[in-house]
Amino acid sequence: MNLELSDDQRAVLDGVDALLARHAGPTRAAELAAKGGYDDALEAALAEAGFGEIALGEETGALEAALVTERVARAAGGVAFAAGGLVAPLVAGRVLPGPVALARADDAGPIRSAPAARTLLVLDGEVARVAALAPGDVTPLRSNFGFPVGRITEAARRRGDALGAGSGERLLAWWRVGLAAEALGAMDAALRFTVGYVTERQQFGRPIGSFQAVQHRLAECAVLVEGARWLVYEAAAQGAPAEAAACAAGFALAGAGRVHRETHQLSGAIGYTTEHALHVWSMRLQALRLELGGPAAQLRALARERWGAPV
Amino acid sequence: MEFAFSPEDTAFRAELRAFLARELPADWVKLSKDGPGSDAQLDFSRAFCAKLAAAGWLTQHWPREYGGRDASPWRHAVLGEEMWAHGEPRGSQYMNVNWIGPAIMKYGSDAQKALHLPRISRGDVLWCQGFSEPNAGSDLAALKTRALRAGEAYVVNGQKIWTSYCNKADFCFLLVRSDAESQRHRGISVLLMPMTLPGVEVREIPSVVGERYFHEVFLSDVRVPVDCRLGPEHEGWDVVTYALAYERVGAARYAKAALVLDEVAAHVRSTGRLGDGGLPERLAEARALCEAARLLAYRVIDGRAKGGPPTVDTNLARVAGTTADKVVGELALEVFGSEALVYESFAAANFRLSMTAGVAVGATEVQLNLIATRWLELPKGP
Repeated sequence: MNLELSDDQRAVLDGVDALLARHAGPTRAAELAAKGGYDDALEAALAEAGFGEIALGEETGALEAALVTERVARAAGGVAFAAGGLVAPLVAGRVLPGPVALARADDAGPIRSAPAARTLLVLDGEVARVAALAPGDVTPLRSNFGFPVGRITEAARRRGDALGAGSGERLLAWWRVGLAAEALGAMDAALRFTVGYVTERQQFGRPIGSFQAVQHRLAECAVLVEGARWLVYEAAAQGAPAEAAACAAGFALAGAGRVHRETHQLSGAIGYTTEHALHVWSMRLQALRLELGGPAAQLRALARERWGAPV
Repeated sequence: MEFAFSPEDTAFRAELRAFLARELPADWVKLSKDGPGSDAQLDFSRAFCAKLAAAGWLTQHWPREYGGRDASPWRHAVLGEEMWAHGEPRGSQYMNVNWIGPAIMKYGSDAQKALHLPRISRGDVLWCQGFSEPNAGSDLAALKTRALRAGEAYVVNGQKIWTSYCNKADFCFLLVRSDAESQRHRGISVLLMPMTLPGVEVREIPSVVGERYFHEVFLSDVRVPVDCRLGPEHEGWDVVTYALAYERVGAARYAKAALVLDEVAAHVRSTGRLGDGGLPERLAEARALCEAARLLAYRVIDGRAKGGPPTVDTNLARVAGTTADKVVGELALEVFGSEALVYESFAAANFRLSMTAGVAVGATEVQLNLIATRWLELPKGP
């Protein structure tokens, strides 16, 4: 047992944080969100610095990819790093041409990052499929949940090369870990941002963050964020066992709803405005909760893995 | 990062489970239904701890010179998980080995070490903790029990409350105000008080959480020899802070809750309800709470294994652990339904234990205050 980052892991994080400080952050995220755009510049910068291959590195792997996923989400980076940098390489065994979008063959609903994606990784029953996306496969949709979204034709969701036996299960498990890592990063940032706000904001002659009624709610959020953190790290480090992956995703997505609610409540009316950065994380938290069937589906999966509950 | 126990620790867990299967009587669940303060369980725990000590495990994490084996905090954590998962058959003695012993090692005189450490290490002594008073609960530094020096003894007068195990305890780890003029954290001393001294009167406070769970301890002109004082006079707050830092890992409530939850799920499955709307999700949500609490507790153990000072990780782990225990306790009641009304039932017995989570060993609100100010660095309140 050792629950601390190694020096090498710290170096990875320092590197990605420095890159994100230049290329990401809430201001840029708000600009992109306004036009529903994908951050091609950030995608290119991450690829150039080698982070796109971190999941398959000689000295790095799934845990490091999960750590980077979390950091990108924390910086509200407008790229699909979880899909392209964590899930795809670990399922396909190679880096797929990015941006990568994740979809289920039988789900006609809106897909995150679809308007920008070059590659689609599809969960099709027991297998995963890799398909190149062509113009005409995707209809962009207006959305203000912080991610570019589009609908993908059924034809595109059904074509492509199957990755072989067990690839469906692997995709589902890594998708869950990636989703949980994204939720973790966004929850952490939303919480810290709100802590900053309630420390500054004065009412009744004192910072509102000095009231216990406010402190306890944020402290309870902190317990959720830190719990999600270690569930994500453990699931990633252990190679996404089905039970651990469902547990991390169920916990993180359930927590995401709570953190969204509490951070908005404590931010008052300013929290709803685009001039206040909370929305770049809080809206995404709700979007993440809608993926893969949401918290209830992750929890049902956990009940099945743990106790054999029917799907 | 590495999320696996060493092969040695894993082997130890297997050996320990075999030991528990041998040593816990078939009617252990029934025996423990009245809670850790009941006569039946206290008597059992005395015999059980002696066997655990004979196997070399009770105080294995202590230094060799005091009867330990220099085992790692991880090894001791495995012991704690298995004990809690099996209804804590050590009873009150978890306190002795977790923090009373270590406090005596650090602050005790040679005579105190010679008197107490071998007995604790043999599993042959029961202690209780004399901290809370009627007007000093979460605000422990408000304690008023006085101990005035009279020659070679302190004359102690006052009252402790919510004390567990004191009906059978041999000694009390007693906090007193030794300087009558002092306030708050200054002027407090720790006395290792024999419970047999004249003037010590124990009265049970009947409760709904277990037999003989709570007591009041009235102290009337109790003459406690000065050589029973642990550490410097008037500086007992430092002793307590040190002792409780050892207790930072706390009880492995998550391990008990996870095992109870597995039993609850097995019952749900056996009654054909594992597909019922909403039930599997709620079981899973409780499971996720247990798992998060386990990992947050591991963070604390990791910090101790590396020799770091106590951090707010402890408070995060405690809130997570008590939450998991309470959620599972309530869910078990629902799942077993009206059968849980029966006193001896599994769900009722577990519920009585889980009810005190979040109040026992420090209120959740105090933990949340510490998380708010030390982890989130929110401004201090009025």
